Amino acid sequence: MQELTLKQTLNSLSGFIPETVLIATVIVCLFLDLILRKKSVIVAVAGIVGLLVSGYFAYLQFGMREVIFTGMAVVDPFAVFFKILFVVSTIFVIIFTISSKEIQESTHHNEHVYLMVAMALGAFLMASASNMIMMYLSLETVSISSYILSGYTKRIKRSSEAAMKYVIYGAASSGIMIYGMSLIYGFTGSMNIYEISAILAKSAVTGNPVIVMSIIMILAGFGYKISSVPFHFWTPDVYEGAPVPVTAFLAVTSSAAGFAVMIRFFAVTFLQNNILLNGKLQIIPGINWTEIIVVLSVASMIIGNFTAVWQQSVKRMLAYSSIAQGGYIMLGMTMATQQGLTAMLVYLMGYLFMTLGAFYVVILVANKVDSDELVDMRGFGYKSPVIAVFMAVFMFSLAGIPSTVGFVGKFYLFSALIESNMVWLALVAVLNSVVSLFFYIKVLKYMFLMKPEEELTPKYQYGIGNYAVLLLLALPVMFFGLYFAPLVKIAEYSAILIGLK
Amino acid sequence: MLELNYFLVLSALLFSIGVVGVLVRRNAMIIFMCIELMLNAINISLVAFSSFLGNDSGQIFVFFVLTVAAAEAAVGLAIVISLFRNKESLDIDKINILKW
Amino acid sequence: MANILSILIFLPILFSIPILFFKKDNVKLIKGYALGISLITFVLSVALYFSFNAGSGEYQFVQKMPWVKIINSYYYLGVDGISLLLILLTTLIFPISIIASFNPIKIRIKEYYFLLLLLEGALIGVFTSLDLVLFYVFWEFILIPMYFLIGIWGGEERIYATVKFFLYTMFGSVLLLIGIIWTGLLVQPFAGVFTLDIVQIATFTTYIPLDKQIILFCLFTLGFLIKVPLFPFHTWLPDAHVQAPTAGSVILAALLLKMGTYGLIRFSLGLFPVAFIKLTPVIAVLAVIGIIYGALLSIVQKDMKKLVAYSSVSHMGFIVIGIFALTNESMQGSVIQMINHGLSTGALFLFVGMIYERRHTKLIAEFGGLRKVMPVFAALFLVVSLSSIGLPGLNGFIGEFLILLGAFNSVNLGTGWYTIVSATAVIFSAVYLLWLYQRVMLGPIEKEENKVLKDITKAELATIIPLLIFIVWIGVYPNTFLRVSEMSVKKVLLNLDNTKIQMMKSIETKPKEPEKN
Repeated sequence: MQELTLKQTLNSLSGFIPETVLIATVIVCLFLDLILRKKSVIVAVAGIVGLLVSGYFAYLQFGMREVIFTGMAVVDPFAVFFKILFVVSTIFVIIFTISSKEIQESTHHNEHVYLMVAMALGAFLMASASNMIMMYLSLETVSISSYILSGYTKRIKRSSEAAMKYVIYGAASSGIMIYGMSLIYGFTGSMNIYEISAILAKSAVTGNPVIVMSIIMILAGFGYKISSVPFHFWTPDVYEGAPVPVTAFLAVTSSAAGFAVMIRFFAVTFLQNNILLNGKLQIIPGINWTEIIVVLSVASMIIGNFTAVWQQSVKRMLAYSSIAQGGYIMLGMTMATQQGLTAMLVYLMGYLFMTLGAFYVVILVANKVDSDELVDMRGFGYKSPVIAVFMAVFMFSLAGIPSTVGFVGKFYLFSALIESNMVWLALVAVLNSVVSLFFYIKVLKYMFLMKPEEELTPKYQYGIGNYAVLLLLALPVMFFGLYFAPLVKIAEYSAILIGLK
Repeated sequence: MLELNYFLVLSALLFSIGVVGVLVRRNAMIIFMCIELMLNAINISLVAFSSFLGNDSGQIFVFFVLTVAAAEAAVGLAIVISLFRNKESLDIDKINILKW
Repeated sequence: MANILSILIFLPILFSIPILFFKKDNVKLIKGYALGISLITFVLSVALYFSFNAGSGEYQFVQKMPWVKIINSYYYLGVDGISLLLILLTTLIFPISIIASFNPIKIRIKEYYFLLLLLEGALIGVFTSLDLVLFYVFWEFILIPMYFLIGIWGGEERIYATVKFFLYTMFGSVLLLIGIIWTGLLVQPFAGVFTLDIVQIATFTTYIPLDKQIILFCLFTLGFLIKVPLFPFHTWLPDAHVQAPTAGSVILAALLLKMGTYGLIRFSLGLFPVAFIKLTPVIAVLAVIGIIYGALLSIVQKDMKKLVAYSSVSHMGFIVIGIFALTNESMQGSVIQMINHGLSTGALFLFVGMIYERRHTKLIAEFGGLRKVMPVFAALFLVVSLSSIGLPGLNGFIGEFLILLGAFNSVNLGTGWYTIVSATAVIFSAVYLLWLYQRVMLGPIEKEENKVLKDITKAELATIIPLLIFIVWIGVYPNTFLRVSEMSVKKVLLNLDNTKIQMMKSIETKPKEPEKN
């Protein structure tokens, strides 16, 4: 254990500025809400400004490699990358809440803003936690805020029902996770993942059932955050029941945070640090966690994609699609290489834009037709062609069609897989993406190919702001789809965890 | 002095009871109580490990688990109340607008 | 002239965007604009033809710029004789398709022409890309406009047809993607860097262990064969053809199918010659089955469009045989037959479209005796049918003759039986096309509606005449076109003479240390 001194703690604060800014933002927004009450836009603007400032400070941290607060957290490019990802996605989601009818019509809608900022704070900590206590705490920060948010429109029955299911699943799986953590703690005597890794590497743990069991239990906690099969049962219900902006937040920020903490935990704890053989990181012998992840990833892809095919609600379909997308991203972990990690980050960046975009279109559609059923989208391509074209971009990107960012992510993932001689896994993944294409184009089928029931429907009008937000989301999808060098550069630069390499 | 194993077995038993309860019980309140049981089982094992290893961090973890459990219970109960207002029931079999 | 390929690709793509801002009611402007752009593209491609040096089999008008440096991917374009002919076909077919759409397309006119121009640019991109990533981007991008073209402007069952088309071809494409990435990675140790530039990797792919070469070949080829489509991967084709609007069918038959055969020549053969030779028997058998099967199904079809669609399966199988025969003549024949099939089948689809416009049915039984009311139409229809059958003096003969000639003595096919069986397809095609002609055009007019049908109009003539010119031109003086592809075909064949082919056939497929053969 490091010696805890006041000076050290104060020094650590300098690596903690983005988080501090977020805490301040939450408090400011809370008071602004109390004072202003009705004027929701000001609170939202304050939240966005706070996030931007925090994002700026996070950006300044790029390149830092420090351990702060006596090993509770670290600041490394990997963490900073995720912080910026969270800032971007949270800003978009706050904008979504402003333009969502169902939220604006609910009471106390300003509270969304600071609950979301609080969730972003939890996500920040998830990305940088290097101690199991910290991991648990940050995970719960995100979870508890999201329980509240998903049950927020409390007049709507399905919303509180969704929240109920979410709480039960969340609490139970995080309980299982800390039981696993307690076993690891008992085995190694430490909560710090670097120390755990060192101890595991020294002791012969080959096939130790306690370790294997605790890995599976810990995966329950992380798996529930990233909604991986078989911890996914909450996902469709909560996605369908929660207000759409909250769903978007869960699908992007919350699951990206889940990936951040999961990658760090597994990469640091169960890889032999500093030992590179043929450029590959070595798994601590006897702990074949990658095989478990292969199983989860394949199961997520197959179950997610095949179930999504039958869905009639777009939100439910996107829920299963995000389960499947989580499966793709997890593929990056299965080979425990630098390339795999880079590919995951590339994919996550693309995933952010295309998923947020898809959900935003769902919000805009729901604002007009008060429904998220596919049937009610019929003929939307004629009633509001611009929105529908944007939806087409996002759907094609999610399906991984070239010239979109979704293709770039898949390209990198498959390259990393094939490079590690896991061609069969790449084949499973591409065949799954054909299945996924089926339901993604189903949305387009309803929007463009099927005529609306009533013949002459008036065109839906949307504000210029809505188009601007959509454009902000769609431009990166298309631009990085054609010129992905910057994306990859960022990912390569960010795929550096303290203690690895 | 008692052996570590006694504590671990107790904790494992309590934890299992909690998990089974979550899975089979149908009343939301009882499910929450079972989750509390799981968390407390974990606390027992953490404290036991901590004391046998002579390492503080386990006990620190326990404090955090307790706090988080309290926060979770507060939010959970609030949601239960809002659900009860809507449905007049806490039986999760009747909470079925959304397909499970 | 250096950037002409980029101009050819991006002229239609970029200039398709203004269409979206035109006034919806200004139909004439939209149509004229789209036609104008496609004509300019055609003129440019003719200029390309004249400045092409047919004496060289190398890639010409090469344009190479770094695109994504991290994976060493280039924006790398170039044409040889084979791709030049296909580009010419593309730029010829598009103005015709646009004219052919003037009357039938009455809804969402803006979007329709926008998608058509997008499709044209992407198709030219496919035929000019020399970097596998770039190629794949264009290859997949084509699905998007095609999905909407069939899905929005198609017939009754259009949604089923377009989804089937999309999923089928996507299935092949994703395997192609795996093949591309894997090739890049396997070549990396020999090339020094990860690269997907086909000129560069073609020199290294033979170092890859043979068992891997065969897997890679299968991954690539399956994607192409679905596109061709070879039996048993053809089931998407009749649905897509029947449901697509006329212009969609024309483009599908004339150009999209050629992407498959082009891919076979450029990538399957160009990158994996040994595997190509090893797996010839499998594919040749499938091709022969496809030829016969397509022809037999054509005979029994009741729907004209379906008949033409199944005849495509048959004809494309013929082209595949020509490619896999690996002789100079057969390869030349296949290249020219690709063009011929584009012209003849394109024209046949146009005719079916014209009849459909008049009667709103494509069922053969609904017609009979049309020659009496539409004499010009019937005469032109007969010429095109004969060209498709392969009558000497018309284009189909040249291609079929060269393929049969080359394939009969082909060492790679090993036996003349493939050729003999394939040759029966010529007879079959005479059966179904002439019988079609007889049932539709000859005999008494039985239906009242048919008595008032108008003969071919000027606009319709404008779509058919250019095709007819080339049909006759190739039939009478094929050298204009054969000359262009001659050196390129020689280059593609990699100087594979009979002894080399024999040698490659005898290589064991067991994994062994990489070595130069």
